[in-house]
Amino acid sequence: MQKNPLGLLLGAAVMLMPFAASAVVSLPKTVEVDSGEVEAPCNENNPEWRVAQTVDGVDMQESLRCSPDNPYAIAAEVKGTNNISMQTLMNTYYAADGIIKKNDMDGDGDPDLIIIKLEVAELNGHSPDFKGLVPTFDIAPGVQPGMWVFAPKSRGMATNSFVGVDANPLLRAPSPVIRVEQGDTIWIQLENTHYFPHTIHLHGIDHPWVDSSGEGNDGVPQTSDKFVLPGQSKTYEIRPRVPGSFVYHCHVQTHVHLAMGLVGMFVVEENRPNNWVQTFNVGAGQVRHPSKAILEDYDSEYDLHYHAMDKELHSIIQESNDPRLIAKKMNREYDMTDSTEDYHTLNGRSFPYTLRESIIVAEPDKNIKLRMFNSTGETLAMHTHGHKGTITHYDGVEHNPVAQITRDVYDIAPAQRNDLKINTTDDGFHSYGEGVWIFHDHREKGITTNGMNPGGNVSALVYKKYLNEVGLPKTIGESIAPLFTKKFHDRKLPVWQNIDDWNSLGEIDAEGYVAPPASKMAAPDVTPGSADIQAPTDNSFRNLIFGLFLGLLAYTLVVNRVKVIAFISSLKGGK
Amino acid sequence: MIMIKHLSIAALTIVLSAPVFAEKEFEDHTSMMDHGDGHLMDMTGAMVMGQNTDVLPGGCSSLAATKEITVHAGHKYAEKFPGRMYAFDVQEYQFEPCTKLTVNFVNDDNVRHQWMMHGLPKYLYPKGMFHLEVTGPGKVTGTLIFPPGDKTYLVHCDIAQHMEKGMKGQLKIGKGDGDLPSIPGVTAYVIQDDYSDKNPDESLSDAVVEELTEMKDKVIGNDSFFSGLTIIGLAIGLIFAPLLARKFKGMSAGEVFVYLVGLVKQSVDITVKVISWLINLVKKK
Repeated sequence: MQKNPLGLLLGAAVMLMPFAASAVVSLPKTVEVDSGEVEAPCNENNPEWRVAQTVDGVDMQESLRCSPDNPYAIAAEVKGTNNISMQTLMNTYYAADGIIKKNDMDGDGDPDLIIIKLEVAELNGHSPDFKGLVPTFDIAPGVQPGMWVFAPKSRGMATNSFVGVDANPLLRAPSPVIRVEQGDTIWIQLENTHYFPHTIHLHGIDHPWVDSSGEGNDGVPQTSDKFVLPGQSKTYEIRPRVPGSFVYHCHVQTHVHLAMGLVGMFVVEENRPNNWVQTFNVGAGQVRHPSKAILEDYDSEYDLHYHAMDKELHSIIQESNDPRLIAKKMNREYDMTDSTEDYHTLNGRSFPYTLRESIIVAEPDKNIKLRMFNSTGETLAMHTHGHKGTITHYDGVEHNPVAQITRDVYDIAPAQRNDLKINTTDDGFHSYGEGVWIFHDHREKGITTNGMNPGGNVSALVYKKYLNEVGLPKTIGESIAPLFTKKFHDRKLPVWQNIDDWNSLGEIDAEGYVAPPASKMAAPDVTPGSADIQAPTDNSFRNLIFGLFLGLLAYTLVVNRVKVIAFISSLKGGK
Repeated sequence: MIMIKHLSIAALTIVLSAPVFAEKEFEDHTSMMDHGDGHLMDMTGAMVMGQNTDVLPGGCSSLAATKEITVHAGHKYAEKFPGRMYAFDVQEYQFEPCTKLTVNFVNDDNVRHQWMMHGLPKYLYPKGMFHLEVTGPGKVTGTLIFPPGDKTYLVHCDIAQHMEKGMKGQLKIGKGDGDLPSIPGVTAYVIQDDYSDKNPDESLSDAVVEELTEMKDKVIGNDSFFSGLTIIGLAIGLIFAPLLARKFKGMSAGEVFVYLVGLVKQSVDITVKVISWLINLVKKK
């Protein structure tokens, strides 16, 4: 047995001193975090869908972005599912009775009775069978808030394939843009496939308060409509006399149902002869078959639907299966007045996914029409880099042309629509020239996803010569690859990993790190102004003494009460 | 101009007065277009996929039986299963292998429903699926022939959340090969709902505010003269005042001060002595 274990320990400590000394003064080391799987920035590219083409007699503009709209779906949306070939219909997810167009009543070459069917779909919902969500719709890599959307009536499965759980392309956020022609008779048939009651309110659109049978047509359960119950359907009938950018949304428990995603844009296009308009613009973004009236003044048209979500609200449907529980948690326990918006989306997605499907493709000397719609809970401050846009319409109503305002930040109140004209003439005012110009909300939280930047509703106006072969912008900045990982959205990647040769702002590895004793301050701090900074103080002793003093004072007063009373009386008497 | 206006009003009146929104009548989808591969469809949204009326699956020497069932689907069938929203009228079926089954699928709701089976042999059924779909109220009919072997097939409606909210059943061929989870009235959920009332009395934000205030107090210190220690001081003062008063009776202020200084000196002396004693104790070892 060793006789002097203490001496041995001290000896070992002395011998280890040189090593210990370096640990004593250095800070934890830097490590590189593995970013895991990196998605291709453009993952699903259908090159043949991107070119200008004609399907079943429907002309459509080229769409150079990474994920263009399916041309067969556009043919169905323009001609109706009843006027296209079976082959075309089979290339879409539309139900055979999804969009019916008929009755050219005024003989001007386009149908005047449009029957639109809408279902209600839940995205990223709960399953009682496994720990995943169904059917999934990622707003950014791995980011899956639970949502409800109005969806065009589809056929077959809710998922895209048998193996995966990702939603079929018609089931997505935002609720689809509906486009009709001024003066047409429109029947909007809501087939409530959801497990809660819903209605449709036609916000801003000319509609009679009651329909032809005397039933409510305004969608407000408290005043003008019955609930459309689960499994039931209801038809809203309108014949809008006034064109413009409008809105449709559910008016049941509107505060949460609208936030959950039951809100979409509704565009009434001006009446023109032979004017077949694209009834749905699924996923919003570029309108590949613009109306006659738009093409008179513009070269291209884009629908930009901005939305925001509070993750506390959007996780309720993921935590329970019982509809009664969900109703209670959403409408009795969740308090929207305490809410904060965590996810900010443009056309249903957040940056960087917006680059795949919500870029604006520009060429010099053109006019682009943007319809901006705000369905978030707060006023947006949309800003366009490189361009000053002219606000031509507010809420679908044309602004007096001589008074129209050209600016670079557009404030849009909740539910408001701004129609913008972007003129790409390189004059230093309307446009500063060609490039990859982002456009985004300038409330800075709008450019975050769950508080992390880059994210949110950022997208880009990209000039053609800056588009690469798969339709992504040719950027000259930092790599966007780390943003296409789940690790990033899991908050695991450091904000500035590998920005230089030795990863000077990398992840800290503090495992096993023990801070050395702090150095002693050499001299009092005489920095000017330092006196204003008050160090935290411990007032316990001061308060104890103060209490002691009060106690002694009280005792003295009691003991000498006769004198005190006499003194006070003398003061009174002296008056 | 006025003429056009009147005409359009007339047109509107005619269009809107048509009884188009009367309750939709039950539609039996009997004349559907055959698109090959067992896929039938019509223009009002009825669909059959994976129809097989005559090809015997491998391993079946002959049809074991020819059966016909009628399946109802709708919101009302969920009534007997609280916490569900949609259901079929029957949740379990059983047939012998190599049975030819004709399913009359009746949808009693006014939306789409499906009766979908997965896991059939893919050489006979495209994507291994037999699928009936119809918008109610209406009926669609399809036929298939089951392969040999004991197996439990899932039948469900694949519209988002319809299976999760109750429209789910199982079809056993032969003895089947076990039960599927979450079949209303038959098997439990894999992931159970939490029905405990976890809602705290105070809202989350109130709790957060309280916590923040507490943290702030810890960091910047409580700057008030009145704290718990003030009260303790007060009590000590009141208790010791009479004793002190007796002690200092007759002394001048100067004498009291000298006395207090003497006390402090004594206590310091004691502390120093204790420390040196401790040091000596260590040194001796």
